[in-house]
Amino acid sequence: MVPAFTLFEKLYNFFSVRRTVLFSVTVLIVVLSFLASSRLHIQEDIVAMLPDDSSSVAQDFRLLQLAPFTRKLVITLKGGNPNDSAALIVVTDRLAEGLRAAGIANVMTGPANISGGFFSWLGASLPNLTTEKDLERLAAGSSPDEVRSRLRNSYEQLLSPEGWALKGNVQTDPLSFSSLALEKMRFLNMVPNMRLVQNHFVAADGTSALLVVDSAVSMTDSGGSRDLLERISTAITASVPAGMTATVVSGHRYTLVNADTIKRDLYVVLTLSVVAVFAIYLVFLRSLSAVFVFLVPTSILVIATGVIALYDVNVFAVTLGFGGVLLGMVDEYAMLIYFSCRQGGKDPAVITAEVSRPVIFGAAATLISFGIMLLSSLPGQRQLAVYSMVGIVAALLISLIVLPHLIKPLPEVKLSLKGLGGAWRLPRRVVIGVWLAVLALCSWQSTNIRFNGELGAVSMVTPELRLAEEDLIKTWGNMRGKALLFAEGTDLESALALNDKLFALISGRIPAGDLVSLAPLMPSNALQHANRARWLSFWQNGRAAQLEKDLTKSGETYGFSTEAFAPFLATLTTSPPAATVESLREAGMGELVDSLIIRSPDMVRVLTMVPDTPQVVAALSDDLKSLPGVRLVSQSRFGDNVGRAIIHDFTRYLTLTSALVLALLIVVFRSPSRVMLALVPVVTGLLCMLGIMGLCGIEFNIFNIAATILIIGLCVDYGIFMVCRLTEGSDSTTNRAVLVSGLTTLAGLGALALARHPSMHSIGITVLLGIGTGIPAALLVIPALCGKDME
Amino acid sequence: MIRIIALIGFLFFSGGTVTAAKTTTSTESAALFNALERTAGSVKTLSSDFVQEKHLAIFKTVMNSKGRFYFSKPDLLRWELTAPVASGFVLRGDKGRRWHERTGRSESFQISQEPIMKLVSEQLFAWGKADFAWLKKEYRITVLGESPVALRLEPRSAATAGFLNHLLITFSTDGRYVRSVELHEKDGDFTRIKFVNTVVNKPLQADLF
Repeated sequence: MVPAFTLFEKLYNFFSVRRTVLFSVTVLIVVLSFLASSRLHIQEDIVAMLPDDSSSVAQDFRLLQLAPFTRKLVITLKGGNPNDSAALIVVTDRLAEGLRAAGIANVMTGPANISGGFFSWLGASLPNLTTEKDLERLAAGSSPDEVRSRLRNSYEQLLSPEGWALKGNVQTDPLSFSSLALEKMRFLNMVPNMRLVQNHFVAADGTSALLVVDSAVSMTDSGGSRDLLERISTAITASVPAGMTATVVSGHRYTLVNADTIKRDLYVVLTLSVVAVFAIYLVFLRSLSAVFVFLVPTSILVIATGVIALYDVNVFAVTLGFGGVLLGMVDEYAMLIYFSCRQGGKDPAVITAEVSRPVIFGAAATLISFGIMLLSSLPGQRQLAVYSMVGIVAALLISLIVLPHLIKPLPEVKLSLKGLGGAWRLPRRVVIGVWLAVLALCSWQSTNIRFNGELGAVSMVTPELRLAEEDLIKTWGNMRGKALLFAEGTDLESALALNDKLFALISGRIPAGDLVSLAPLMPSNALQHANRARWLSFWQNGRAAQLEKDLTKSGETYGFSTEAFAPFLATLTTSPPAATVESLREAGMGELVDSLIIRSPDMVRVLTMVPDTPQVVAALSDDLKSLPGVRLVSQSRFGDNVGRAIIHDFTRYLTLTSALVLALLIVVFRSPSRVMLALVPVVTGLLCMLGIMGLCGIEFNIFNIAATILIIGLCVDYGIFMVCRLTEGSDSTTNRAVLVSGLTTLAGLGALALARHPSMHSIGITVLLGIGTGIPAALLVIPALCGKDME
Repeated sequence: MIRIIALIGFLFFSGGTVTAAKTTTSTESAALFNALERTAGSVKTLSSDFVQEKHLAIFKTVMNSKGRFYFSKPDLLRWELTAPVASGFVLRGDKGRRWHERTGRSESFQISQEPIMKLVSEQLFAWGKADFAWLKKEYRITVLGESPVALRLEPRSAATAGFLNHLLITFSTDGRYVRSVELHEKDGDFTRIKFVNTVVNKPLQADLF
């Protein structure tokens, strides 16, 4: 006797006299869902797969966005004559004007004009910035011989035309002490291969110029990005002459490429899924009633999309892309109902009740696997879980409550699978032998599988974009690929103080050209105070008086007056005011200050940048343990961290899902052998997926690794259906249901595998491998292991 | 000094046949400037000795030096100090070379990368074309005298006015060349350059540049 869920029998009987109401309500729900789904906004960026919790990975991602060039567009103008930068600069200025005319206001072709104010600031700030080591150099630089030599140079320079600009310097700094301060500028070169020509960023070889565009358009706004890039392209066409090229590199380009690819993929995946599923129905169902079966998953797509739109209007593209899979996945319940009702021979209410048991348990297993994904810290996975769970519940209800009323039983059993029947009568030993051999091979190959945690692995990068990125690095050095060190404090002073310590720790190991730090130019107040005290102390005990004598004596030789160097001598014994961020900004270094000092309501961060190499990052990771409050964020290490976090999550969820599904199976079957049988498709699907991926060199990435949990949920359905059918006396309609619904699932996954976007493609391929091997295992191996012929 | 050189360049070119006016009405000034502009076109080369006096407060006495100046249209210039120290520079369009005899150092440079030299060359070459529109844009010009012609130039831009108070230019009695240039700074210091032995349109050896 088949146990039955009489609720659905009662529901069938209840609605059998109220079908108009039932159908009307169903259609109304679908229509309302359709209307709700029209307010959706598709989000194509990587945010879907980055943790949004308070984990270190999530924080690292937020901090990476603070890197100076991450938020900007950089335009490389190429084609200049190495011996004539003037023409290149003219075109650069023309392009900058063109961009401004196109409404892109913040275009930078060079640093702010720092000529006068900054050098005055630097000279006046010298006592604040001078370290103990610097004072040793000053001692050597103020010896009588050095004084004589310097004054002679000053004298000769004053005679020359260039000396015109030097009179003030000779008075305030006759011994060129400020060169010490200028040297500190070496730590502020953010573009390694850049030099300044007429205050323009020009490449070391003189053939390229750099324009930096700061746009308010968010990097994740594909519509805004398209408009921005079109305006830039128009300005380039109008401003750049033949023989020169202008290449734009920015996150906006990636956003646009990914958005376009995803849109195309959504169209292809959903269209192909619908067409393929419909074609499968036509081939295997061959009945007008099949149209209703087809309407179940298509309605589910609309309902799930509508509900998700009510939940959050911003829907990740990958969620909708998964719709194609959902379409093929949720029809298995409808399929079981269809085949059972078409088989007839009983009251449709009774048939519905009988079928409801495997359908509900199968759905429960799938819901468990998706439900576990709700615990994920990745918003894309959580949304996908909600979307799929809504779809499954809707599919379950429509299949068990509505569909039975739409299917007419055949007068006699005519359902046939024709040629497929032969394959099902394969000898048991052959089936089991082949199965075991495949499992062994896949187990062996699964050791070769690799995980690629790089975000680039799931992002669409066209050859053109890759070339542009490579060329940017070749021309300017790796200005966007720096590891970031954030000295964090509750206020500016504490952040600068920590930044001082950080600089002291790393400056000896990383060459100035590779290290970008504000510390040498803007120490904390505390350090400035200490520097000033050391400066004043240094010039005491007769040292300043001796220098004055030496200057007077050597100055006489060249005719300098006794008062010539009074301004300079005053600085040796007078404490200057502290250098402040505001004064540095006023001196023309506002852009630099804004790039390296990042303020938020509750925190100030001072940014230091170092080469993002494994050696540097590894060494710094150890060193920074002694500096709490300094956070290292490395783009290369970020990928590893994301990968580690996702693998950790995945392992946890996989264990949890497995345990819950196992518990469900134990509850359902209450027999170890039946439980084991029901698990055959799951184990086969997972092992084959891993083995084939290992064999073909397909990598796991942050998208497809999470999707593998679905294999458990989907394959266990087939296991439940088959074990129910084989052990509880159900008829062969289950085989057909499993086969046809399996094919439609594969059609959905196959369509997803055809997507160009790496994220969708990887999910499609991975789950396709698992389901594609799980279905034959359900249809062939379970019966073989049971020892029963299928027909 | 940069402006002195630049102005010298212009004034040498514009010496010619200008007749100085007695009054300084704008109409007459314009006529004077137009005349200067017209005559500049006939000057192809210049060479001259100069004596420089620097009256700077940081020196006890006046700093004296002397040297040679050469110019050839459109963009060749040599400024050479011969005493008390031998040094100088040559400009050829956007490129330059400077030398210093005592240190034995000689180096090439690109004008676009040297802001001071860029300023020198920009003004020289612009004035070499007798671009009075530009000159008037940069300076307020007052005609102080007509025979010989004497001009006073005051910078219009605040940046230049920050260090330069005014320039005084005096032409030779026959008006063919500049006799002296005085550059007065804000702090009262000034530099005077007297040009002697000036020769106009004499072919210059190519290796001078």
